Amino acid sequence: MSTSLADQLRSLPDESLAALLQLRPDLVVPVPTDVAALAIRAQSRVSVSRALDGLDQFTLQIMDAARLTRDPADGTTSVDGVLALATAGPHPPAPTSVRAAVDRLRARFLLYGPDHRLQLVGGVDEISPYPAGLGRPAAELDPRTAALCADPAKLRRTLLAAPPSARAILDRLAAGPPVGSVPPGALRAPATGADDELPPDETNGGAPTGSPVRWLVDHRLLVRVAGGKGGSSGMVELPREIGLLLRRDTGPLGPLSASPPAVTSTPREPKAVDSAGAGQTMEVVRHTEALLEQLAAEPAPVLRSGGLGVRDLRRLARFTGLDEPTAALLLEVAYAAGLTGEVELPGSTGRYGADQQVLPTGGYELWRAGSLAQRWEQLARAWLTMTRQVGLVGQRDDRDRPITVLSAEAERAGAPAARRAVLAVLAELEPAAAPTAEEVLALLDWQAPRRSRGRETAHREVLAEAATLGVTGLGALTSYGRLLLVEATTTEDRDNDDPLGVRADGAGGTAVRALDALLPAPVDHFLLQADLTVVVPGPPEPALAAELDVVAEPESAGGASVYRVTALSVRRALDAGYSADDLHGLFRRRSRTPVPQGLTYVIDDVARKHGGLRVGSAGAYLRSDDEALLAELLADRRVEELALRRLAPTVLVTPYQTGRLLAVLREAGYVPVAEDATGTAVLTRAKVRRAPARVSAATRTIDPLTAPRLPLPRLLGVVEQIRRGDAAARAARRAPAAVRGAAPAGPVAVPSHSDALAVLQQAVRDKALVWVGYVDAHGATASRLVRPVSLGAGYLRAEDERTEMLHTFALHRITAAVLEK
Amino acid sequence: MTGGPLIVQSDKTLLLEIDHPDAQACRMAIAPFAELERSPEHVHTYRLTPLGLWNARAAGHDAEGVVDALIKYSRYPVPHALLVDVAETMDRYGRLQLANDPANGLVLRALDRVVLVEVAKSKKLAGMLGAKLDDDTIAVHPSERGRLKQALLKLGWPAEDLAGYVDGEAHPIELAQAGRDGGKPWTLRSYQREAVEAFWAGGSGVVVLPCGAGKTLVGAAAMAEAKATTLILVTNTVAGRQWKRELIARTSLTEEEIGEYSGERKEIRPVTIATYQVLTSRRGGAFTHLDLFGARDWGLVVYDEVHLLPAPIFRFTADLQARRRLGLTATLVREDGREGDVFSLIGPKRYDAPWKDIESQGWIAPAQCTEVRVTLTDAERMSYATAEAEERYRMAATARTKLPVIRALVDRHPNEQTLVIGAYIDQLHQLGEYLNAPIVQGSTTNKERERLFDAFRSGEIRTLVISKVGNFSIDLPEAAVAIQVSGTFGSRQEEAQRLGRVLRPKADGRQAHFYTVVSRDTIDTEYAAHRQRFLAEQGYAYTIVDADDVLGPTLPSFD
Repeated sequence: MSTSLADQLRSLPDESLAALLQLRPDLVVPVPTDVAALAIRAQSRVSVSRALDGLDQFTLQIMDAARLTRDPADGTTSVDGVLALATAGPHPPAPTSVRAAVDRLRARFLLYGPDHRLQLVGGVDEISPYPAGLGRPAAELDPRTAALCADPAKLRRTLLAAPPSARAILDRLAAGPPVGSVPPGALRAPATGADDELPPDETNGGAPTGSPVRWLVDHRLLVRVAGGKGGSSGMVELPREIGLLLRRDTGPLGPLSASPPAVTSTPREPKAVDSAGAGQTMEVVRHTEALLEQLAAEPAPVLRSGGLGVRDLRRLARFTGLDEPTAALLLEVAYAAGLTGEVELPGSTGRYGADQQVLPTGGYELWRAGSLAQRWEQLARAWLTMTRQVGLVGQRDDRDRPITVLSAEAERAGAPAARRAVLAVLAELEPAAAPTAEEVLALLDWQAPRRSRGRETAHREVLAEAATLGVTGLGALTSYGRLLLVEATTTEDRDNDDPLGVRADGAGGTAVRALDALLPAPVDHFLLQADLTVVVPGPPEPALAAELDVVAEPESAGGASVYRVTALSVRRALDAGYSADDLHGLFRRRSRTPVPQGLTYVIDDVARKHGGLRVGSAGAYLRSDDEALLAELLADRRVEELALRRLAPTVLVTPYQTGRLLAVLREAGYVPVAEDATGTAVLTRAKVRRAPARVSAATRTIDPLTAPRLPLPRLLGVVEQIRRGDAAARAARRAPAAVRGAAPAGPVAVPSHSDALAVLQQAVRDKALVWVGYVDAHGATASRLVRPVSLGAGYLRAEDERTEMLHTFALHRITAAVLEK
Repeated sequence: MTGGPLIVQSDKTLLLEIDHPDAQACRMAIAPFAELERSPEHVHTYRLTPLGLWNARAAGHDAEGVVDALIKYSRYPVPHALLVDVAETMDRYGRLQLANDPANGLVLRALDRVVLVEVAKSKKLAGMLGAKLDDDTIAVHPSERGRLKQALLKLGWPAEDLAGYVDGEAHPIELAQAGRDGGKPWTLRSYQREAVEAFWAGGSGVVVLPCGAGKTLVGAAAMAEAKATTLILVTNTVAGRQWKRELIARTSLTEEEIGEYSGERKEIRPVTIATYQVLTSRRGGAFTHLDLFGARDWGLVVYDEVHLLPAPIFRFTADLQARRRLGLTATLVREDGREGDVFSLIGPKRYDAPWKDIESQGWIAPAQCTEVRVTLTDAERMSYATAEAEERYRMAATARTKLPVIRALVDRHPNEQTLVIGAYIDQLHQLGEYLNAPIVQGSTTNKERERLFDAFRSGEIRTLVISKVGNFSIDLPEAAVAIQVSGTFGSRQEEAQRLGRVLRPKADGRQAHFYTVVSRDTIDTEYAAHRQRFLAEQGYAYTIVDADDVLGPTLPSFD
């Protein structure tokens, strides 16, 4: 069959082959050597599985139809056969859509060959063993069941006789998949006298004896098959014929729907959608900035296991007034956008490597300088492409440890695809359509059932995140979100077509421009009020925001910002280098309303007090009640080097330490006295310098030059050691050539190993001495004369008589063994 | 972007730019659900609170309307998350209802079964709920009506109280608008009428009106509406007499129909005025005057100055849920933060008017607030610097240096009635001597007080020194100048009350003056800043001047 696919492929024009490769790009990784290799790969289980992943539900069902209509003899089917089966149900789809589905399958070479002799690609049966959720034909399962199926009237009667609980099981299996595992004991024979009677309870929750499954198996409607997990007593399968019979109401392929499920929710006002979304984007940008500012003020340590601690997340969330999931999302997005990064703490390198902290990066500064829309776009793009599933944060991993923000456990390679898929669903609907989460999930399930299965949670999270980030508003995709999505996908395509980026336009994309139009323009003025609040009626210009951050305390933020001027904030501004006049000027210039008298007064009042207390550092001070003496000192040129400064009539200070001050003063003929912290005089006496104490040579007992005296027992020990070494050398020389490392390796080496085992076994029995040649752990060959003790479990245990030690040799390392002669 | 007057902040405050042409319309649209927090001259701040949203819900506004109003008037896009939050919060009100079941009496009924299950499991409600009547209804003991409402509010599922009110013992009361005993004819002002209507429609609740805006008349009108026996709770005896005088002058009630229940007299009549103090006095750990609440079948209970309501009164009020309750106050701000209890026990806010609006309608005298900063002498500064922390405020507030400044201020307004208000008795005596003015303090007998106040009203006494007793509910109509010398630390509420002393409308509409004398560079200044903030937020511009400007020779003025 494979040759025929290869032949088919070989006969294709180049364009068609390219089209196939475009539809199934995994076929060219790596590039196959020839068409035969391509054909083999196209039929491989992995490749076919990927091709199926991208197909919608209807096409997959048509594929199943092709599988079911295969001629058992040569495995071919025909378009007409598929069409007949697909339209056999009570609500048949249009034949054109069936043909279109077949064409999709043929384009991917999942089906190939002429219309009347369609062949299925190999590997499909491995991927899903039950086409259309139907079991195997009865003939393959059990002859008695086959006999039952061959008699339609009897089959019908048996089915009708099935009790309701058994019928429920049948219906479930008929809907597919057709196999089910059987609870333990369900198939055991009932207690005596109970016979085939079913227990009266129809809920199937009663005693295991006489369970509906047993009834079905006994009546040959279900067939026991092998398999099932431990604990269950096997599996049962519904034969295909019975399944088809039970599907009379829906058609042989089950419910067919050639078009995606419709969205019934009422669409929103597009303007309202954009407005709600734009409001959300402002929030997101502001909250991200607040989070990162807080992170900069108090960096969060990176845990040893990666990520930020739960407590740090809670702290950040509390500070910014967000709930933890939102804070986690924004932190992840900011990290993905490169706004934060890890820094190693200097001097913290320990056993587990350096301690790290998460801090805003230099990119954060650039980001902050951008417009609101640009900043949002950076975040939203990072979100679209980041391989993180933030919803996992706060849950527990396999080892029951909490998953933390930025940790490796929340990494999911499929996350960007999930986002694309969900947003694409929204984008394909009419503008401002606001489907419910359930409707979105249903659409996804129809579009690529194999891909979306098991990802419902992830998809729901995407919807929630999109709302949080303002990509959607009121449940519908916003206009700028749609543009962003288009841009993000086309950028990728463009990168592919245009690797050098020649066509890149550089400036902000259309999404940024669209969002810009929705967002308020920055303002450069504020309103001042008598309660000393400053209201900026819109997003402040960066310059204005910077000024206000210094001179006032932020009170509330959002569409506008409210600040309050307090004595404390005015003082801070004065500290930062503003003068009172600067502040008056600032308020006069920026305010659209008259400056309240209270504010002017506060500024002047604080400025008056500012600098009333002065703080500085000095090395030492010099005080005296005699002001004239201090004046003299200050004028004395001999002590000029001390750089004395007068703080008060009775106090001088110098940047130098007490010792130097004292020395210079004394040299100049003054008589200073040192005092300690409590003001009492410190008496000083000249102190002689000494090196640390050492031991006298007289205590030494041994003259280093005389030879050491060796006592007799020690000498004897040395001699014995030498002799033993000699004997070892001789013994080594005695070792037979076969076990010496020098023995020529070659074809003989192989039999020598099995011979060696025989020799060793004999030696264990005879307790004889054996020369063992082996390869040690460093790869060197060595030999040793030993007396084997035991042989087993891949190891030889043997006694070395010379060293009186028990050695253990790994058998696979032993190259040869020769009996000592 | 609509360019509207409203800016929605993410901390759920709403900024209303009042110079915007749509500001008035916007104010009307958001007033039902947002609470006015600050009203300085340019940008008013409203806050969306769960209480406020539930108030709106109680008044029949739905979430859709609130969201529409926000979007319609908002200058900038409103964040999606905030809209969702508003809708969800509003949706919580009224899922549970307190109702009268003909068979089972008071019941808690759920429109959402899940909520009832959740609430019924709560430990906070243990013992308040009775038997489960069906899936949606649980019996409630009538005595737990108030406490249940309190607890449900804390759980975030405020119940709608549809159980109604008892009519009480009927008693004819009419407003005497034609004027009585030769008095001039008068009518209720428009905002007073609106307040009464709003209250009556709601059944019970709080009316917020500034000092001097005629809260007593709102009470009288509510009584005339109820036409039933009424219990009026006031802060002190003098305030009680004030009420009595006003009721006799403005309604058909006669002296015999109004009883006083205070430390001095214990009269129970169809209309009884009782003080908080006597109700909360205890003997042997038990409240001795609780019987008053059951002494008659009251049809209406009026709470004067709700923001001062002592905690025990809340407990008594929890048992009065079947009677109509009217709260009157100048501010809902409670220094103890028990606004939620006012909401659940007395009722939602029914009427509120910004001070400035009422002033611009001419009902309150415009006031000029000035803070005078006095520089202490070096000796005073030294003793202040070395004083114990708890003595510091007293020291700064009672500095002798203030005396000449106060006299200078009094002399500045030679033809005005002037009140000097302080908190420390020693200082008041000093002031009394220095200014040669009589003193009203806690130990002054009621009779003496009345005499002094009458003399002050008639203009016999031009300057009066009063202690903290003057904080509450005394009516000194012609006081045009108030000088506050020392206060209770940083109480905002006290500041509002004291300003209220000079805000009564003047016969000739002239300006009122409110001076605060504080010691510079001391804790006095900080407390003053805290107190004045409340007034600045109400839109009164504060001027700060140095004592030298007051004491020095008047500068030549140019017209």
